[in-house]
Amino acid sequence: MSGRLVVGVDIGNSTTEACLALVGPGGEVTHLGTALTRTTGVKGTPASTEGALTAVRRVLTDAGRRPGELDRVLLNEATPVISGLAMETITETVITESTMIGHNPATPGGEGLGVGTTVSVLDLAGHPGDEPAVVVVPHGWDFDDVAAALNTAVARGVPVVAAVLAGDDAVLVTNRLRQPIPVVDEVSAVEKVPLGMRAAVEVAAPGRTIRTLSNTYGIATVFDLDPDQTRQVSPVARALTGNRSAVVVRTPSGDVTDRRIPVGVLELRGEVRTVKVDVDAGAEAIMDALARVQPLRDAHGEPGTHVGGMLAAVRDTMADTMDDGSGGAPGDIAIRDVLAVDTFVPAEVRGGLAGEITLENAVGLAAMVRTSRSRMAAVAARVSAELGAEATIGGVEGEMAVLGALTTPGTRAPVVVVDLGGGSTDAASLTAEGVCTAVHVAGAGELVTKLVDAELALDDREVAELVKRSPLAKVESFFHVRHEDGTVQFFDQPLPAHVFARVVVLSPEGPVPIGTRHGLDAVRRVRREAKRRVFVVNTLRALRQVAPDGDLRRLDFVVLLGGSALDFEIPDLIADALAAHGVVCGTGNVLGDQGPRNAVASGLVAAFAQGIG
Amino acid sequence: MTTLDAPVERTLTLRETGPATRGTRPDEVVIAVSPAFGDPFTQTIVGVPHAEVLRQLMAGIEEQGVGVRVVRVWNTADLAAVSHIAARLSGSGVSVGMLSRGTTMIHQKDLPRLSNLELFPQSPLLDAPVFRAIGSNAAQYAKGQSPQPVPTRNDQMARPRWQAKAALLHLKEFECIRADAGPVELEVTIERAAG
Amino acid sequence: MTAVQPLRAEEPRHSLRTEVLEARPVNLDGFVEEWPEKGLVAMESDFDPQPSVRVEDGRIVELDGRERADFDFMDSFIADHAIDVATTEASMALPSVQIARMLIDPGVSRSEVIAVTRGLTPAKVLDVVKLMNVVEIMQGMQKMRARRTPANQAHSTSARDNPLQVAVDAAEGALRGFAELETTLGVVRYAPLVAIALQVGGQVGRGGVLTQCALEEATELELGMRGITAYAETISIYGTESVFVDGDDTPWSKTFLASAYASRGIKMRFTSGTGSEVQMGNAEGRSMLYLEIRCILMAKGAGVQGLQNGSISCIGVPGAVPGGIRAVAAENLVASMMDLECASGNDQSFSHSAMRRTARMLPQLLPGTDFVCSGYSAVPNSDNMFAGSNFDTDDYDDWNTIQRDLQVDGGLRHVREAEIVAVRAKAARVLQALFDYLELPRITDEEVEAATYANSSNDYPFRDVLADLTGAQQVMDRGVTGLDLVRGLEATGFHDVAENLLTVLRQRVSGDLLQTAAILTADFTPLSAINDANDYAGPGTGYRLQGERWEELKKLRHVTSATNPETEVD
Repeated sequence: MSGRLVVGVDIGNSTTEACLALVGPGGEVTHLGTALTRTTGVKGTPASTEGALTAVRRVLTDAGRRPGELDRVLLNEATPVISGLAMETITETVITESTMIGHNPATPGGEGLGVGTTVSVLDLAGHPGDEPAVVVVPHGWDFDDVAAALNTAVARGVPVVAAVLAGDDAVLVTNRLRQPIPVVDEVSAVEKVPLGMRAAVEVAAPGRTIRTLSNTYGIATVFDLDPDQTRQVSPVARALTGNRSAVVVRTPSGDVTDRRIPVGVLELRGEVRTVKVDVDAGAEAIMDALARVQPLRDAHGEPGTHVGGMLAAVRDTMADTMDDGSGGAPGDIAIRDVLAVDTFVPAEVRGGLAGEITLENAVGLAAMVRTSRSRMAAVAARVSAELGAEATIGGVEGEMAVLGALTTPGTRAPVVVVDLGGGSTDAASLTAEGVCTAVHVAGAGELVTKLVDAELALDDREVAELVKRSPLAKVESFFHVRHEDGTVQFFDQPLPAHVFARVVVLSPEGPVPIGTRHGLDAVRRVRREAKRRVFVVNTLRALRQVAPDGDLRRLDFVVLLGGSALDFEIPDLIADALAAHGVVCGTGNVLGDQGPRNAVASGLVAAFAQGIG
Repeated sequence: MTTLDAPVERTLTLRETGPATRGTRPDEVVIAVSPAFGDPFTQTIVGVPHAEVLRQLMAGIEEQGVGVRVVRVWNTADLAAVSHIAARLSGSGVSVGMLSRGTTMIHQKDLPRLSNLELFPQSPLLDAPVFRAIGSNAAQYAKGQSPQPVPTRNDQMARPRWQAKAALLHLKEFECIRADAGPVELEVTIERAAG
Repeated sequence: MTAVQPLRAEEPRHSLRTEVLEARPVNLDGFVEEWPEKGLVAMESDFDPQPSVRVEDGRIVELDGRERADFDFMDSFIADHAIDVATTEASMALPSVQIARMLIDPGVSRSEVIAVTRGLTPAKVLDVVKLMNVVEIMQGMQKMRARRTPANQAHSTSARDNPLQVAVDAAEGALRGFAELETTLGVVRYAPLVAIALQVGGQVGRGGVLTQCALEEATELELGMRGITAYAETISIYGTESVFVDGDDTPWSKTFLASAYASRGIKMRFTSGTGSEVQMGNAEGRSMLYLEIRCILMAKGAGVQGLQNGSISCIGVPGAVPGGIRAVAAENLVASMMDLECASGNDQSFSHSAMRRTARMLPQLLPGTDFVCSGYSAVPNSDNMFAGSNFDTDDYDDWNTIQRDLQVDGGLRHVREAEIVAVRAKAARVLQALFDYLELPRITDEEVEAATYANSSNDYPFRDVLADLTGAQQVMDRGVTGLDLVRGLEATGFHDVAENLLTVLRQRVSGDLLQTAAILTADFTPLSAINDANDYAGPGTGYRLQGERWEELKKLRHVTSATNPETEVD
């Protein structure tokens, strides 16, 4: 048989891909098949040999070929990249002296505003008849007994104006009262409500929000405050905005504060200067600092902080990985990029009486370390020994990706490829003159998952991953769902019982319920925002680094590659963002049938063929 | 002070007011009890009074602002069947079915009979707060909300302690079945016992 | 508090002894009065049918007082498939007391008894065993057990479905002597990984151990056909037509499933037990043992080699009625009388009382059965996903001591800690390498270290459940088979384990494990009713705990040395 049987192998961060082809004497290429497997160990290290061999064997088997027939194994110059993630909460809401209760129970009772003095239901019998009472009811009280106690007091002439309950009994109690009053319930730490203090309880009608206690001057009116005191209560009003119910207690120095948590300093060392930035300054400040030191040579976090720990761990993992036992220095191991993202994390309010949750500010950080040192030679030697075929290191990843991407119908040089991966986002450009440049930036799919998990308070990476991967729907009955775009789909067979009335992810294995109180729209917004803040931001960052003079308008074709390019909306989000710059952007279709997969492996084969032709 | 002492004794009166009909209000949950509930049995397998069981279930529903009707199913003591009959009578399609020993289920009319929304099979582990939570969840389903399922408990040693008594109660309940009687509407009166 | 508790006038004063007795664990168990009309009775009921049989034209036309026209499907199946039509009228003509005596008479061989029992109807079998007290039941079991050498079976599961825990506890269990290992899941999707872990861990502990994974029937069958498991057991059958129908099954559908296993050379047995029918309220007024005897005959008629019985998951029901544990012992005996392998229960949480737990198992331990426990928990009961067993890892030393005290072989032995640690470490490393080879989620060195010394699932680092479930799905999608496991073990340098697993898989072809009561010894010799037939014929015959095995069982954790009383025997 004429022609040489070659296989291109791309050892990537998470997947190893192979492309088998027959290359004729004139350099003409006949593709015989592709294969995909999981990368073993860190790419570019000897541990990744196993995955490479698996991919080669698989593609050979599928094509009905034996290893003995192989002429050449073409490997990419894979530089190890390791990425890490960390998240730091940077604000904290603190309530002192139990000033307010703002947990927004699902079913408060009654309606309106009641202002009076707090009194325990245990002491109600001795309460003076001329003093409006806000009755506080501890755990263990039955709703029938509470209602009876309140009715008795009212009959005795005590103006009972409101109640605060420990249990989930507000509607039950108000339904049994002769005179309706506003009642706030599910106050788990009700015993901490200060007694004998002026207090106001407000409950709005269903579907409405409170008007008085969420208004600074409303509180001032209720408690007859002077201007200085009014200034002090304004955080309380702000904290209660949007609630259907609330309690405010007037205590001598009660307060609600929004405090910054010092979480340490990030030190960014650039080529010419070093900048220190407080992590609690937020993502924008961090990214500004990063821009000032570009190109980044290394980054360090303050020891004892999450960020410091994460950066050290990434560096150590790489050092371990690169340690070949020779005792030699592990080469240049430094943090080469950092992505900071502002996010919100639901957290319990300190000093709260009812498990109030507030959205605290947080910063998510992704960091990436790559090393100049590659151990691909060792990989090539082992591959060669195992397969009995010559193995050569055939080219730099970015260049090969471009060559592979150019097999996408409708593309030509100059072109830029963006590889949307799990840990890092990579870009490579090829000019019309054949000059290739490549960059790697930190942050990709794994950071999206982490943001989704944190912002929705799922505490379940499995579900967060599902939310990231598939569209949502609301199960409206056993026989129909409403998709996130509003369309309705009907089913002949009833849906499984555990998804009834829930917001679900339409995973390939069927609908999976999301354990959250958020509605579909909120989940969708969080998901799309997370993708935008990571992939759109990173694509623009990467493209600016490879674009001529950093000008995106001077880019023509942008081809998206990698696992995340298979996502149902990320390519659209990126294309929308790039459209403003007049760039043609789309998902690659390597070899016309591989989609965004197999670009580097195919590129290796193409490069080999060009060398012959 | 009466509330924190020993549980208050209450009497349960269930008066039949006629054949149960299909509800038209979309904001109601139907509770169905089995043939022996309330009479001759008066408490669950672990001694929670039926008066308290029903009071808590109804309170859980009322707290959510949802209406409730109570029916008795006469012709079966199979929990899935009792619950499903109730679901088909319910204006919202959501029901709570329960057997005298305490085993409880939340059902929905469009589900296959042998399926359910939530099932509480371990009757010895159900107490008053659990019944309240079951009522609350049923009402939330009726409103089209997505409550977190009531946590189910498990106890490996429930088998040696309760398995045979559960079988005995099941057999007794079977004795009270009236095969030819349809479900009936119940008027529920729960009053503090005298004294 | 200053007030004195008021005396409640109506409460009689209790004796201090009553208070002590009230606090005893046995009083946490539940006991109920019999109700024979409803079947809430162990084995002595006036409502059970009287034995009878009539054969016309080579067909049974009357069974236990019921005409063929009135047969339910259990009667039909038993009449047509379980009872030997040629001998039934002669066997039925023998007085029950004579058959009962044959069962315990050392002068009557096992095969002579079976020649009679194969022609008996359910009511007649009941009539026979009703004549026997517990000691006689044990005597009968000693002779009627199919395999000469008794054995034991373990549960190896994990509350977190951690495959690594299942593997190392399987290895330890195999080393301690269990001949079969069984697992099941909390999260069913984990099954492929856990089944692989059980299989591999078992073969590290002792070559030739057989494994199974209890799941819904289709998946259980698929794992068996792929060679990821070696046998199957959780195919439940019931004694009344109504309960069968409630489960959307019939004797024929269960028989079809049994033949699917047989077609691939996979060992399997059915599962049944006293109390299940009355538990479901459909005992049709029959005693628990009568209904269980119908199950046993149904299993016989289906052609399966064995049965797991001894009430199993309904043990709380016979355990609560008078004579219930006698009935449970009798149902094991009946399975053996019908020439079936008997995996004899003792596998579910039974009592709060340690004394009751022990007494409940003596009728199986003392005579020996094919598997004394059909699930001794080889993990702490907190990790037992079969809802807890009658014995768990905490009981290992007690069990070994009872074996030594009474000189009986309950299938286990004491193993020194160093050996256990070594085998656990190896099982963990083997699974680590195999997962890497199969591209399944990594097992870290930290996990291996934890697994080596762990007691319960709490002692292991958390695994990435998402990654594991994805990996488990891949095992199914990629069509991984037992041979792939062998290949992986060989490729990762664990030649001995690969060889062990391959040899177990080869049994599919030879079919030796389809013989009644088959297990594999450490040198892969099948022991079954064919080549290790029970030849008990009175004192001095049959299986005797002696020689090398007895020396092995004399060892305990702490035995003072006779040579140097200041030291302990190693």
